[in-house]
Amino acid sequence: MEEARTVKSRPEKSDPLKSHSQATPGQTPVPAKDTRNTGPGRLLIAVYAVFAISATARAGYQILSKFSEAPLAYLLSAFAALVYVVATVSLAKPGRTWFKVSVTAVLVELIGVLVVGALSIFDSVQFPHETVWSLFGRGYAFIPLVLPILGLVWLYRRRPEKRPLSPEG
Amino acid sequence: MDAYFYIILVVGLLSSGICLVAGILKKAPNDVTIVSVAAVELALLVYLVGSIVRVSAGEHMAGEAWEFWGYLATALLLPVAAVYWSILERTRWSNFVLAAVGVTALVMAARMNQIWY
Repeated sequence: MEEARTVKSRPEKSDPLKSHSQATPGQTPVPAKDTRNTGPGRLLIAVYAVFAISATARAGYQILSKFSEAPLAYLLSAFAALVYVVATVSLAKPGRTWFKVSVTAVLVELIGVLVVGALSIFDSVQFPHETVWSLFGRGYAFIPLVLPILGLVWLYRRRPEKRPLSPEG
Repeated sequence: MDAYFYIILVVGLLSSGICLVAGILKKAPNDVTIVSVAAVELALLVYLVGSIVRVSAGEHMAGEAWEFWGYLATALLLPVAAVYWSILERTRWSNFVLAAVGVTALVMAARMNQIWY
C-alpha cells in the first residue's frame, strides 16, 4: 500500500513543529517529542478514527438487530470497535502513559486480527458472521491487518526517551 | 449500482488521486486538494438530495432505512472533518488524510447502494 511507503520516507522540511526525529544530542527532550499526533501520525489517527466509527456503528447495529444469530462474533465486533476507539484516542494524546495505552491497543489489535482471522478460516461454524477481523480483514481491503503493523512502526519511531539514559540537565 | 454511486466513484477516485499525488510531491494542502475534497462533499450532497426526493416520492429501499441514513450522514461529515484537520496542520501528511476521504466515500456509497437495492 502507498501508506507503507510514505510512512517510511524520511521527514519533510515543511513542518515547522518538527524538532524531533533526530534528537539533538545534549538537549533535554522537550515535551513536543512525546507526541504521536503530527505528520504521518495524523494519517494513522485518521484511518483509526474511520475504523473506530465504522466498527462501532456496525457492532451496535449487529448487537441491536440480530445478536442471537452469532453472539460470539458480534461480541467480538464490539470488542474490535472498542480497541479501535482506544487506539484512536491514545494515539492522539501526548505523554508516556498514552504511549503505553497505544502500544497495548495496537498489539491487541494485531493479535485480534491474526487470531480471529485464523479462527474464521478454520472454525467457520463459530465465526460464520462477518466481523472487522474475519478473514484477516478481507472485507476491509486487509487494512485491519496492515494498520497495526504501521501503528507499531510509528509508535517505535516515536517512543518516549528512556529516563535512565537521558542526560541530566 | 446507480448513477449516484458512479458520480461518487469518479469524483472520489479523482480526489483521492489528486491528494495522493500532492502528498507524494511533498506539498501542503492547497486549493486544488481542498476543492477536490469539497467536490466529494458536493457529490454526497447530491446523493442526499436525490435520496430524499426518492423517498418522498414513495420509493422504498430494500435494507434498513436508518442504516442507510446513518452511512450517508457519516459520509457527509468525513470531508468536513478532513478539511478542518488539514487546515490545522498544513503538512504533506494532511494531503494523505484528504486522500482517504474519496476512497472512504466510495466504499460507503457502495454500501449505501447495497442497502438501497
